[in-house]
Amino acid sequence: MKNREQRDFFPGAWEMMILRTLKRQPPDGYALAQHMSGTSNDVLQIIEEGSLYPVLQRLLKEEVVKAEWSISSTHRTYQLTAKGAKHGEHEVSRFENMLEGITGVLAPGES
Amino acid sequence: MSWLGGLFKRRRVYAELSEEIREHLQEKIEELLATGMSRKEAAAAARREFGNVALIEEDSREVWRWPSMEDLATDVRYGLRILPKRPTFTLTVVLTLAIGIGGNTAMFTLIRAVLLKPLEYRDPDRLVSLSLKDFHQNKRDGSFTLKRVDEMRASSKAFSAIGAFLKLPENISLSGRREPEALVGARVSANFLDILNVKPRLGRSFLEEEDAPGAPPVAMISGRLWRRVFQGDPQVVGKTATLNATPHIIIGVLPDNFAFPFVGTDIWMARPAEWSVIPPGARPHVTILNGFARLQPQVSLQQAQAELDVLNRQYVLANPDRLDAGPGVSIEVASLKDQFVANVRPTLWMLFGAVGFVLLIACANVAGLLLAQANSRLREFAVRAALGAAGDRLVRQLLVESLMLAVAGGSMGWLLAKYALYAVRHLTALQLPRVGEIRPDSMVLGYAVVLSIATGILFGLFPSLQVLRRDLTAELRESGAGAGGGSSARPRILGIHARGILVVGQISLSIVLLIGAMLLIKSFARLRSVDPGFHSANLLTMKITLPPARYDTGQKRNTFFGDLLERLASVPGVQNAAVALSLPTTKGWLGTNVSVEGQPVVDGAARFESITPGTFCSLGIPLRRGREFTARDNSPAALPVVIINESFAQRFWPAYPRGQDPVGQHLREGLDKTGWVEIVGIVADVHEEGLATDPVPEFYVPTVVHPPQTAYLVVRTQGDPELFVNAVRSQVLAIDQDQPVSDVRTMDEVLEATLGQRRLTTLLLGSFAAVALLLAVVGLYGVVAHSVAQRTQEVGIRRALGAQPGDILLLLLSQGLGLALAGTGIGLGAACALTRLMNNLLFHVSANDPATFVTIALLFMIVALLASVVPAWRALGADPMVALRYH
Repeated sequence: MKNREQRDFFPGAWEMMILRTLKRQPPDGYALAQHMSGTSNDVLQIIEEGSLYPVLQRLLKEEVVKAEWSISSTHRTYQLTAKGAKHGEHEVSRFENMLEGITGVLAPGES
Repeated sequence: MSWLGGLFKRRRVYAELSEEIREHLQEKIEELLATGMSRKEAAAAARREFGNVALIEEDSREVWRWPSMEDLATDVRYGLRILPKRPTFTLTVVLTLAIGIGGNTAMFTLIRAVLLKPLEYRDPDRLVSLSLKDFHQNKRDGSFTLKRVDEMRASSKAFSAIGAFLKLPENISLSGRREPEALVGARVSANFLDILNVKPRLGRSFLEEEDAPGAPPVAMISGRLWRRVFQGDPQVVGKTATLNATPHIIIGVLPDNFAFPFVGTDIWMARPAEWSVIPPGARPHVTILNGFARLQPQVSLQQAQAELDVLNRQYVLANPDRLDAGPGVSIEVASLKDQFVANVRPTLWMLFGAVGFVLLIACANVAGLLLAQANSRLREFAVRAALGAAGDRLVRQLLVESLMLAVAGGSMGWLLAKYALYAVRHLTALQLPRVGEIRPDSMVLGYAVVLSIATGILFGLFPSLQVLRRDLTAELRESGAGAGGGSSARPRILGIHARGILVVGQISLSIVLLIGAMLLIKSFARLRSVDPGFHSANLLTMKITLPPARYDTGQKRNTFFGDLLERLASVPGVQNAAVALSLPTTKGWLGTNVSVEGQPVVDGAARFESITPGTFCSLGIPLRRGREFTARDNSPAALPVVIINESFAQRFWPAYPRGQDPVGQHLREGLDKTGWVEIVGIVADVHEEGLATDPVPEFYVPTVVHPPQTAYLVVRTQGDPELFVNAVRSQVLAIDQDQPVSDVRTMDEVLEATLGQRRLTTLLLGSFAAVALLLAVVGLYGVVAHSVAQRTQEVGIRRALGAQPGDILLLLLSQGLGLALAGTGIGLGAACALTRLMNNLLFHVSANDPATFVTIALLFMIVALLASVVPAWRALGADPMVALRYH
């Protein structure tokens, strides 16, 4: 239980980032982990790569992503479903709204 | 299937997951190898960066698992924490449910053991009872003469065997071991065990030839008697026991719990018609045998019935003057089990229905309590919803809590039921057949468990749905700000309508129960007020069975009774004493055909009774005309005389008490066909078969005519009859030191015992109704109190604006009274339909007795008014200023 709290920033953060990443390309789990730590200025590197997998399973179960074993390799690649694309958009816009609000509050007080 | 499919799918998902994680690690290792690490280092680094593989896999799998299991545990933990914090509520709910579930479980056990379970014999559905129905007079029991049984046995093809047993248990004295004691004996045809397909525990059953007159005396004994008197001697078979002063060879021991034909039988003897009560010469003429049989395979009840109809017509034509023949006589084949339990079936079903009602009312009450509880927990729910709990999650929490309450209530109910059943097994007043088979088994346990869960869901659903419907965030917003302008249209109280419906349902159910109980109470009161025809106060009674071996002639028996009465007359405090063949209110049918001199032969069956002089005086039966028997009448040399009752007089002299005087006329009775005997007196009618049964024509003869083998001694005493038991018993022993007495009771006790089953039924239904009333009133009170609390502010405003207290009271009362009226109305309608089902449990009260219906309705409205006035009054009493600032 403690592990999970450590892994999650706030509810839904991982999901959102994964959905965003998947929107651009359909990678496998490993590539996804690499990509996310690479593009996040290594902020996310402190987090174990493995913690992606429970999140991925959750997304699979909710049918916002689907997974396929590629014929050429032994990798499983993830793809957004139509539902996933919509869900991702919604989550991101919600997050941006929230971020805006938080930034506003955190900004040095001018008022 | 889908569940199974899900299971397989999940297994595949898990496999793929493991595979994927392995691939991930592999890729990482290869990448690290490319940077120049050793394979060992690379593997360690990959694992380090990946994290705990096992834990992550576990977490990933958990996504697919049923979420309910883990959540359920959380809910249960939460429930365990929160329920004890509200001890009054929890205790009330658990106790209410315990009563409801316990009562139901106990009644179900009874119904199952007595009415539903097949008899514990092999192929029980092939066992039938054969009984006589006399539609012409419609008052006789279903018994045969021996001749009739023999003829059925000879000519019927539908049955593989036909057996018979003496319709009443016989007192059999066991002497020569310790003190003489009287045991319950049954006389059965030799084939009785073959028909039932029961093997004796020890020894053998009767042989066919042991049914023939003059066969050597043999007996079978119960397992109970075997252990108690014979110390469980394995060699008991072949030993001799002195039964009725005759040495009998014990041929077998029956299994424990064997209770055919009567519960508590200890001795079985063959030759069913040889009842010591009946003089040998009269035995062929009296209907004292009950028939039972095993159907041939493939033969249906209807086929057997058709065959017996034909045989019956032949028999009636051939034997017109016999008691078991006659114009309206038919034979009825019925399942043996149904016949066994016929007298308790309506009572048991009625009580089962009643406890069902009580449970429903209890559920409604608990639902009401939960609603109130949910109401005060709205804040809690709102907070939890705000923290992310989904609506269905909250509902599940509520359901889990109610299930926990139900399980607690059910467990307590189970204990209650076990104690109740223990009591039932030892309550002889119930006169329950198959009482030995009553035990709570796994089926009953299952019933209790299912019942608990079903009730838990039933009463848990209401508050859950109410919570689900609420806008919980609004609740949060509002609770800080107060109720606002006072005209808050949205009711703050949760589910007030649902509670209203529950209360109406409760009220109608309890109205039905109250009316049912009231009808039974009324019947019981009417029954109690029936004049039995004799004075039961200060009468001591006991049973004396003279062993035929020592008292083989009527002369000896009559001398014994004469000596005894003479001795008793000199006992101080004994006013008078008499001996009679049977005791009033406890008699079965024992009668014979009677014809009156100078009248055409009519179907004149009359009850027969053999008494000593002084019996009418001792019992306090008023003499209407003529005279009582005198000592002279009871001497062997006397001319035979009879005394008749008024029903007899009316049967044969329809103009009685006017017209020709029956006294001085002559009659002939079929028992001994002695010839014409003179009627010397007429006495008042006595309820011989119990208070509920109307008197029938009866005639009395002096004991010298039919000196009984088994007779009852009645002694009228000065003061408490109990004090005379030893004095009377010592007089018996002074004449014959081997002579036991049994059934020592006062006549009041005898009378009470005949009412026992009715009393118990009335008591049970009465207490169910009382519980129902209490629960319904509490429910009503709860609703009214809550809604009044909701309107406290409104009341304050109205009063501030100058409304009169009376107007406000009326306003507040209207809701409670409206609910009570609706419930009462529905209840009256339902009672109208349902009480008809208990018609045969009532006595001289109509099932739709208007007085009862009106009384109960009025009573309930008064109680409802009180339940509503209390909270309303309290609201009125509050300071208007405080009320205004309420919240």
